[in-house]
Amino acid sequence: MASIEKEQELIKGLKEAVINYKADDAKRLAEEAIKEGADAYRMTMEGLAGGMEVVSEKFDNHEYFVPETLLCAKALYGALDILKPHIKSTGHEAKGQVVLGVMQGDVHDLGKNLIKAIFESAGWSVHDLGRDVPIQKFVDEQLRTDSDIVMLSAMMTTSMVGMKKLIPRIKEKNPKVKIMIGGAPISEKTVEEYGADSTADNAPNALQEAMTMLETLRGM
Amino acid sequence: MASKDEMSSLARVAAALTYGEPDRVPVAPLVCGASHRFSGLTYADWSRCDDVEAMVHGHLDSIEFLGLDGVVALVDLTVEAGDFGCEVIYPEMDTAHPNYDDPFIKGPEDYKKIKKIDPRKSGRMKGIIDMVAGLSKEIGQTHAIVGFVYGSLGTLSMMRGPEAFFMDLVEHPDEVKEALAIMDEVLLDYAVAQAEAGAHGVCYDNLYASQSILSKDLWREFESEGMQKCCKAIGETGALVVHHNCGNGIYFDELQEWGGPPHAISHAYVADDVDSWEEHKQKWGGQIATIGWIPPGPVAMLGSQEEIEEECQAEIEIFKEGAGFILSTGCEYPPNAPLKHAKLIVEAGKKYGVY
Repeated sequence: MASIEKEQELIKGLKEAVINYKADDAKRLAEEAIKEGADAYRMTMEGLAGGMEVVSEKFDNHEYFVPETLLCAKALYGALDILKPHIKSTGHEAKGQVVLGVMQGDVHDLGKNLIKAIFESAGWSVHDLGRDVPIQKFVDEQLRTDSDIVMLSAMMTTSMVGMKKLIPRIKEKNPKVKIMIGGAPISEKTVEEYGADSTADNAPNALQEAMTMLETLRGM
Repeated sequence: MASKDEMSSLARVAAALTYGEPDRVPVAPLVCGASHRFSGLTYADWSRCDDVEAMVHGHLDSIEFLGLDGVVALVDLTVEAGDFGCEVIYPEMDTAHPNYDDPFIKGPEDYKKIKKIDPRKSGRMKGIIDMVAGLSKEIGQTHAIVGFVYGSLGTLSMMRGPEAFFMDLVEHPDEVKEALAIMDEVLLDYAVAQAEAGAHGVCYDNLYASQSILSKDLWREFESEGMQKCCKAIGETGALVVHHNCGNGIYFDELQEWGGPPHAISHAYVADDVDSWEEHKQKWGGQIATIGWIPPGPVAMLGSQEEIEEECQAEIEIFKEGAGFILSTGCEYPPNAPLKHAKLIVEAGKKYGVY
């Protein structure tokens, strides 16, 4: 079992490795954490997620852009793959659950992947359906997972229009679920027109929106 | 007061882009893929660029029916990548896209696979050059024809997959740069060929030169010099240099320095150094003409007649003064949007854009 000082050192190292997109360092420190018997959950939440929180701020402030953020996510996932099997399953409930995917006919998944990294690092359970997802699959996955939020992504107007058909189908099966939509052609008007609940223009803002929606749901 | 159109569309566009005295604000929503609906071709067949004659007639009918002042020779963003060897998927009723499940460049070692090709001899690039020639023959004296080139960064990202590509910029810069150098040569020739075929201007799409994607430093490192050479070559043909960038927080200063400078930029959002369209007009309006910026999704596609007219009026009011403005969509007019809305945009332009 690692000492408190050792755990602090490892957390700091993991955080910096994520912030500075040093994937090899992140993996090395994750392995060291396991070897030292450090608490894998604390390493993940305080180290990796803590680092990703700083990365989100940098992205929001235009210090980091897409390449840097992707590389930070790569460092995070490399370490997370090592730590995850060692996280004790009891007592660590996900903040929330989200089904996430890119609409049918659309293969642009960069934004969706950034959102996945930021949500997972923030402690959400993300059910990622990938890209070019048939409409019914979103409905089925929400029912299977009982997710709080469904997030739909579209980069083109031709794939965006599928949301108008999909959203009522999801809401019909589960009126309480919240739906967030995003992508280049999406605006507040699309949210209103298609019966969604919100949109966000980048991953950190999407997380903020999701937290707000979750509070509303948990309060119901 | 509605316009009586005292100038030809071409003269109007030229006057607008050179800060002359157009009779009214030119109007040209970027009806590109949507023109396939006039051609009799499926979207897939349109995208393949095999039937140039049908494509020319599709654009001609689109211009006549909608009243456009000009046309852009954009088919979709896979044209260049496809000719370099990327597998392209052509959905029957949707925009063509690369097969990202089997990318041409699977790892950094594959950037070496990029070889020099001749855009004038074969492939979809040749189809587009021929389409420009066909349009020039029909409307070259009356309407503005703008060629189109997807920049080397964007094209190469299609061949690798954007996510891996962006990381390669940092992790494997040398391999990327070698491929870009070859691509830049070919795209320069492609741009020049469109100008020689009769395009009055050629548009270089530099999507990643914005806060949406890359830092200024990273963009400059990879695309600036290639774009500079291309834009210089366009200018040397006598054609106007135009850019397109639908990212948010566009690096207008970089594009001015490295891009010609451009006569106009087609854009959906303001420059990175201003906070509003009014500010953008004040800072950049007298230096680089704006082509834009009607939101394609919320307004062109989903807007009511009133909303479309209001948006057009608002944009004209901000940008009309002093010329240097063409009313258009901020990005391509959605191929599946009602064509009637494009007509409404043109009518609004004629109603509110008279000088």
